[in-house]
Amino acid sequence: MSLADGALHVHRDAPPDDPGGLTDADRYPTLTPHGRRMIDFLRGHPSAPIYRNQSGNRLMADEVAHVRAFECEVESAHVGWRPGEMPAWLGAHVERCFAEVPFYRRYGDRPRDFHHIPTVTRADLRDIAAFVPDGIDAARLINFSTSGTTGHPLLLASLPTVAASYLAFYKRALRRFGIELRHGRGRVGVVLAGFQRRCFTYVSVTPTMDESGLAKLNLHPDDWRDPADRARYLDALDPEIYTGDPLSFAELAALPLTTRPRALVSTSMALAPELRERLEARFGCPVLDLYSMNEAGPVAIFDPAEGGHVLLQHRLYVEILDDAGRAVQPGERGEVTLTGGFNPCLPLLRYRTGDHASLRVAAGREPVLVGLTGRPPIRFRTVAGEWLNNLEVTHALGRFALPQYTLHQAADGALTLRYHGAASDADTLADALRALFGAGQVVDARAAVFEEGKTVQYTSELAGARP
Amino acid sequence: MEREGPVLETLTRRLAETPGDFLEAPRIGETGRVHTAAVVNDLLRRFGTLAETADLVRFRGANASRDRNALSITQVVCWLLADEWFVHATPQPAILLYLLGDQARELAEQSAAGKFVTDPDRREELARLALARLGYRPAGETPAQAQDRLTTLSSAERARVMRAAREAEERARAIREALARKAAQEAADKWGRE
Repeated sequence: MSLADGALHVHRDAPPDDPGGLTDADRYPTLTPHGRRMIDFLRGHPSAPIYRNQSGNRLMADEVAHVRAFECEVESAHVGWRPGEMPAWLGAHVERCFAEVPFYRRYGDRPRDFHHIPTVTRADLRDIAAFVPDGIDAARLINFSTSGTTGHPLLLASLPTVAASYLAFYKRALRRFGIELRHGRGRVGVVLAGFQRRCFTYVSVTPTMDESGLAKLNLHPDDWRDPADRARYLDALDPEIYTGDPLSFAELAALPLTTRPRALVSTSMALAPELRERLEARFGCPVLDLYSMNEAGPVAIFDPAEGGHVLLQHRLYVEILDDAGRAVQPGERGEVTLTGGFNPCLPLLRYRTGDHASLRVAAGREPVLVGLTGRPPIRFRTVAGEWLNNLEVTHALGRFALPQYTLHQAADGALTLRYHGAASDADTLADALRALFGAGQVVDARAAVFEEGKTVQYTSELAGARP
Repeated sequence: MEREGPVLETLTRRLAETPGDFLEAPRIGETGRVHTAAVVNDLLRRFGTLAETADLVRFRGANASRDRNALSITQVVCWLLADEWFVHATPQPAILLYLLGDQARELAEQSAAGKFVTDPDRREELARLALARLGYRPAGETPAQAQDRLTTLSSAERARVMRAAREAEERARAIREALARKAAQEAADKWGRE
């Protein structure tokens, strides 16, 4: 989209300000007339969706400068450490955590050996105030909530500068694929596409990109006056990048778009290789699989040439631990455990993510997470009583390019498959599972609509399902 | 404190010279280096006491983030009590276990273990506490003087701890309130959502 194109506008009010909430001056403190025109365009386009919420960059002028400087730092930073060693910044980070963070202060003295520091789990983060260091100004805090599919939902403390700094890591990830962002004033930089029954939607501008446009929208037809408006609106925006998840990208691929983004960036769910290839063919651009979480931001980007997810953050140390919290041997699989990060409100110290992978570290190269799976591997039992790795299920269903599905095995061995966006019918999918599990396997396969947030893909009630 | 014990400085000096091994992380689960229960067992044997398994269980720890500091203090107390003077004083095993267990947990609420080695006031407090629990006072002090000094040290520390706890609670409440505000719930722009 270019505002110079003279696209038609209709006046459409923003959702009303909530009493006690923010005004546009709070949401966009540095907004210029150019940025205002962009916001009006995004909200007022005749085919615009129903924007149900409001948000903004919230950045003060000095914070914009801070974010710009951070982008420069990220661009040139070396990510990684030498095999068998720890990064140089780690000691000072640990020292700061023990001195300034209430939760870590309870540990007592800092152990001499980093590996003797207790690990932190998601359950510990329920008392999030204890993780905010002493010096953080509470007045600037914002929050992000995370889904509760693996436990209680969490409310995480953050800052506008942290949210804005995500872009630095997106740029680093895109650069790996030869893409330098070009958009600026009068253009739309990114559309964050969701496809859910309920979705937080709004428009904004990115000050560090000369107030390029940002739209977070929901492709679900219920959020549009006319479902055909989706393609019209997105073509009018012509964003340089789409971010979303496999589910929303599958929906995006079905729209008759005439414009082409320069890349799609998938987050929050495992992206099957088959779906990635399908999307790349459809849009004629790279489709990036980003490993990102609210607790740490963008952690790693999948690079087929490296055979795994390449770490993105220069102040994030990754360990791989076994169930007892011991470091595994180099190359062995275990739980991805994080120390550091770029959110000053949540300095991580041996945070166990619940995600599993092995780690490849080589001198002078960015470390790579190999075989990353979002949840502990689950084994499924065949009719003959053999155990199957969930990767075999992933492979068996991979050819159907399902944007999202879950598979559950009950205590009696029966399988329940729930899926969304399949081109094939339930019987075909059930037959594919029977081919894997054996004739006579009970399968209940049905289409379903998933709620917003992470979904636990593989579950089982069988003893021995956790290898 | 009816009985006169050693010169206080011999004990505070001993604490200041605590070997690094006693300050290593207690082993809880599969992390940490020092098996605190084994150190306690060794100490009790030095006193001619055979520890019951039930007495030692509490020194294994269950939750690393919760038990770590208390067990670290137990290790420092072990080093202090291993002094020849205490061995010759032949204290009751129950009192030793109290010092190593409940007393260490109480102190853990107030200070990190390392403070009982590096901070002169905390060293003095721990040395006086150990003597007092065994019914002794430092050499050259009257019972009233010893009690007065211990109370001064302990109450000053308790006041500091309570003040810090109050400030921490106020800070936590301010953060929770800030995060609950409408403005915080609106969050801010990220290029992608997890």
